[in-house]
Amino acid sequence: METNDLIYLDNAATSFPKPPEVLASMHENYALYGVSPGRGSYDLAVYAAELVWQTRVKLALFFNAPEPSRVIFTANATDALNLAMQGLLQPGDHVVSTQLEHNSVLRPLHHLRERNSVEYDLVPFDQQGLINPDDIVRAFKPNTRLVVVSHASNVLGTVQPIKEIGCLCAEHGIPLLIDVAQSAGHIPVNMQDLQVSVIAFTGHKALLGPAGIGGLIIAPDLDLQTTRFGGTGVDSHDLRHTQIYPHRLEAGTLNMPGIFGLSAALDYLEQKAEMLQKQEMLMTKLLYDGLKEIKGVRMISPEPKGESVPVLTCTVKGKDASVIGEILDGDYQIAVRTGLHCAPLVHQVLKTAETGGVRFSPGPFNTQAQIKLAIEAMAEIAAMW
Amino acid sequence: MTAEKFKQIKSELEQEYRSVAGFTLLFDHEGYLWEPKDWNEKVAVALARECGIADLSENHWKVVNFMREYYFTYGRAPLNSQLKKGTGLSIAEINALFPGGIKKDGRRIAGLPNPRACL
Repeated sequence: METNDLIYLDNAATSFPKPPEVLASMHENYALYGVSPGRGSYDLAVYAAELVWQTRVKLALFFNAPEPSRVIFTANATDALNLAMQGLLQPGDHVVSTQLEHNSVLRPLHHLRERNSVEYDLVPFDQQGLINPDDIVRAFKPNTRLVVVSHASNVLGTVQPIKEIGCLCAEHGIPLLIDVAQSAGHIPVNMQDLQVSVIAFTGHKALLGPAGIGGLIIAPDLDLQTTRFGGTGVDSHDLRHTQIYPHRLEAGTLNMPGIFGLSAALDYLEQKAEMLQKQEMLMTKLLYDGLKEIKGVRMISPEPKGESVPVLTCTVKGKDASVIGEILDGDYQIAVRTGLHCAPLVHQVLKTAETGGVRFSPGPFNTQAQIKLAIEAMAEIAAMW
Repeated sequence: MTAEKFKQIKSELEQEYRSVAGFTLLFDHEGYLWEPKDWNEKVAVALARECGIADLSENHWKVVNFMREYYFTYGRAPLNSQLKKGTGLSIAEINALFPGGIKKDGRRIAGLPNPRACL
């Protein structure tokens, strides 16, 4: 299948293409050091464990987290969110979350409620796609044990006031878990400054790493129960799963190619993040300005100003979004994400659940020429009806 | 299991026999033919009417026949680019033929299985 002429605008699903440096480093390190880390006394296993530890350190620095040992590797953000919610919540607990959440939060919460073990409330968002931190406090109950908020909306591109929410949660002694799947790599995520207790991240979106690697970062004053059990390479004599971090929450052989790729991606971002972020927001603004002028196109996302991430969603004359996506793909070679974006409540609130939305998410490697072509294509499509 | 959950699972597994163009055929819960081999042209005409298409034009048949041919050769529905190349029509033109779009109405009329994807 030819992909050379594709205009890829689905970076909120996964960034593509990956920087060649990341892919090369991933391949090289896995070829040289792809053994089971920390599971033997031979030098290569010890060295592989050292490389894993270095990646934890890089992640702790990236998110300004106090302890690298509390960087836990998971398969992705969804896996991390499941691990966090199941490890933090007990029967009878109450959770406050938001209507902006992805199914990666909504479904674990729903599952826990179905088991009659947890109840939750979802606070609304305003016309600008923002949560009012006071609404979160108003939803607190005596048994509220967790607040879960996505840092940036995967439908609207809006960034939530996490610092204010973190401050309020800290005042009430309630841990704040944030989903940074759509923010990490686009905007700074400073765990200590935001007063966040737990961060769930994925490696394959704006961090520019491969799929299959993500993680959880936990503040030193919070403990999660172990919910997955197995081999860790430490305390093997004991049938009980070790309670030492990070092994307390990791079981089985780690995803070494994923960790090598993520490590290389963090190095890449350290050098280029500022330039890449400027480029993708420039493209996003250009795209917004073009799309909003097209008759029949209704922007669901607010104008990207201030702190926001490169995500723009719109509808076209009440047409099924999947039809627009098919035409963009088949006739213009433009890849976008259509439908509900796994965030059904956002579309319900915005009354776009029936048609879905057309989501454009520029990446750091999109050019102005590509954005102009996307705008022209949308103008032609909107004129079809 | 709650009643709501049970209803949801039941609905997803639900199959329904319906009489279409004089044939008794099995459909899934979203109206896709369960067994693509049960399809014939009379069924296509009847399913098209259910989708609001009074008569299938030459271009409709071009698309339907290509989708079926491709499906039985490769075991899956054609990609957008393959559909375009195979029919000589643009995706916009093909979508205009089917009120619910290619993946919904086009597939239903061609008797292909439910794509079961978030479109």
